[in-house]
Amino acid sequence: MSGQSQRLNVVPTVTMLGVMKARLVGATRGHALLKKKSDALTVQFRQILKKIISTKESMGDVMRNSSFALTEAKYVAGDNIKHVVLESVKSASLRVRSRQDNVAGVKLPRFEHFTDHSAGDAKSDLTGLARGGQQVQSCRTAYVKAIEVLVELASLQTSFLTLDEAIKTTNRRVNALENVVKPRLENTITYIKGELDELEREDFFRLKKIQGYKKREIERREQDAKKYADNIPLKTGISMNSAHNLIFVGAEKDDDIIF
Amino acid sequence: MRSLIELTCYVLPEIRSFDRRIHREEEGEAMYGFEALTFNIHGGYLEAIVRGYRSGLLTAADYNNLCQCETLDDIKMHLSATEYGTYLQNGALISHSSSRCGSDSVSRICADLRDSGRHVLVSYIPDQKPDSFLCRGIAYQPMEKGAKPSPLHTTTIVEKCTLKLLDEYKHMLCQATEPLSTFLEYITYGYMIDNVVLIVTGTLHERDVQELLEKCHPLGMFDSIATLAVAQNMRELYRLVLVDTPLASYFSECITSEDLDDMNIEIMRNTLYKAYLEDFYNFCQKLGGATAEIMSDLLAFEADRRAVNITINSIGTELTRDDRWKLYSNFGLLYPYGHEELAVCEDIDQVRGAMEKYPPYQSIFAKISYGESQMLDKAFYEEEVKRLCLAFEQQFHYAVFFAYMRLKEQEIRNLMWISECVAQNQKTRIHDSVVFIF
Repeated sequence: MSGQSQRLNVVPTVTMLGVMKARLVGATRGHALLKKKSDALTVQFRQILKKIISTKESMGDVMRNSSFALTEAKYVAGDNIKHVVLESVKSASLRVRSRQDNVAGVKLPRFEHFTDHSAGDAKSDLTGLARGGQQVQSCRTAYVKAIEVLVELASLQTSFLTLDEAIKTTNRRVNALENVVKPRLENTITYIKGELDELEREDFFRLKKIQGYKKREIERREQDAKKYADNIPLKTGISMNSAHNLIFVGAEKDDDIIF
Repeated sequence: MRSLIELTCYVLPEIRSFDRRIHREEEGEAMYGFEALTFNIHGGYLEAIVRGYRSGLLTAADYNNLCQCETLDDIKMHLSATEYGTYLQNGALISHSSSRCGSDSVSRICADLRDSGRHVLVSYIPDQKPDSFLCRGIAYQPMEKGAKPSPLHTTTIVEKCTLKLLDEYKHMLCQATEPLSTFLEYITYGYMIDNVVLIVTGTLHERDVQELLEKCHPLGMFDSIATLAVAQNMRELYRLVLVDTPLASYFSECITSEDLDDMNIEIMRNTLYKAYLEDFYNFCQKLGGATAEIMSDLLAFEADRRAVNITINSIGTELTRDDRWKLYSNFGLLYPYGHEELAVCEDIDQVRGAMEKYPPYQSIFAKISYGESQMLDKAFYEEEVKRLCLAFEQQFHYAVFFAYMRLKEQEIRNLMWISECVAQNQKTRIHDSVVFIF
């Protein structure tokens, strides 16, 4: 960017000055609000981060337990148990749905799981009836718990990413306002003020100059008039008054002198 | 001279009647106590083979070594020092076949394989017919130089071990004559039932037939198994496919239920298995002798174990008492009074109360504490292994084959458990469920 804080190209009038001032006020208020929003989002962000770390650790444990439960089930019910269960499933009974949460103005997606009873998981209660039924059921509970943890982790991670985006955008805006918009506006205002001052000074100067001229003009005229009045008595020797009378009164009604 | 003639006149008839007894035995009516005379004619070779296989089972020392492995590769290394060596090589196992063929065709096949760069392990075993050989060949392709070995999964180990069991079984089946061959086939009907139920369930939920076939247990495959996928309901299933299989007679009880839905599938499986157990039991009784005695003990234990498991697993489900009763077999220690008590049980402590009246099961239930049923399965497995090992103490009967198959299965289960524990880093639990066979 050439010139770190340029100014806007505007006509430097008083109205423009008012407009610029209004904009500066708006920018300042916006800057304060966005900064508060960014702080609130950062607080949420840190909380989610802490929760993610603890959930990930517990997920490691839970997955381990559930894999082991599967091994136990395979041991007792035969290696085929995985295929038997998989083939007898029509549709999933444990499902996930998503909804939007509003956190400090940001829409975060949240996932939650629910059991779809119509998918009929009651029938699979009889899996491994002759051997291994208990292990199959305990394996199922272990995996349901694993799903719960995973779903929670998924919603935490998506909120994490969304919040991250939102924080970046907000910070970008805050920085832009602070480092670009406001200086620009301030510079523009300064420029307008400067221009206006200059115009005023010019006017003032012009005024003064003209006054000077006028004064000199009047003085000159008076000088001229005075000089003329002095000149006539010097030539004919009459008083200025009579000369005056001569010129002005005498010129009015006088008979022609005839010889 | 005269006394010699008298001797022959008196003695020869005795010998002739003795001959008749031997002939009766050869026809299948064993005389208990005299099996040593005639068993080895038809069954001696295979009994020797199966005892050889049994001595190849992993011992406690092997299991201890395996339990101390850190990774799956260590396990593979230990296993390659045992009987499983050839099966766990890195090369892909291409084909394994046991077939009766003439000696010239065998040499042709070997030449072909060698030309194509594959290694062949062929064992010639003289068959009963004079000029044909039982050719057992395992062909596998050695690794190309520089190729990376495929990553080892626990499922691969289990697969290869099951393959070994399958090979041994097929070898024995090829060599067997009646009634041993029927006996060996009976052992696999249980797996067949599982496969049939799996394919029917899968077809019901519109899965691909090829995928289903891959998931079937190899011991339970039969020729027309793929056509199970075509059937829409029970009657068609029976008419198209099952009537030609040995499972036909078991379906007469299930044929009444027309529609296949999920509840019926599990009950169907257990009804079939009940019919199978009873059929097997009757067959063993017909064989008589030591086979009947040992097999009835083993099968009775199996039936009782199933009854207890069915009871415990159906507590709290929709299975009614009558349905439960119908799934209990009609032989065994618990029949019929124990079954009466089990049918009305509503929780584990009642089951325990019902079972403690029978001394063999009392010791099992004494091992697990009140209210807990997780260890029950392991206790049952231990008891089963004990009984199976006892079967080897006697000679000249068929129960050794059954015992060997079951022991091998238990060994594969142990290996699966050990590999999973090692792979999932749960070494502390590794001793929970390994049942030592010796």
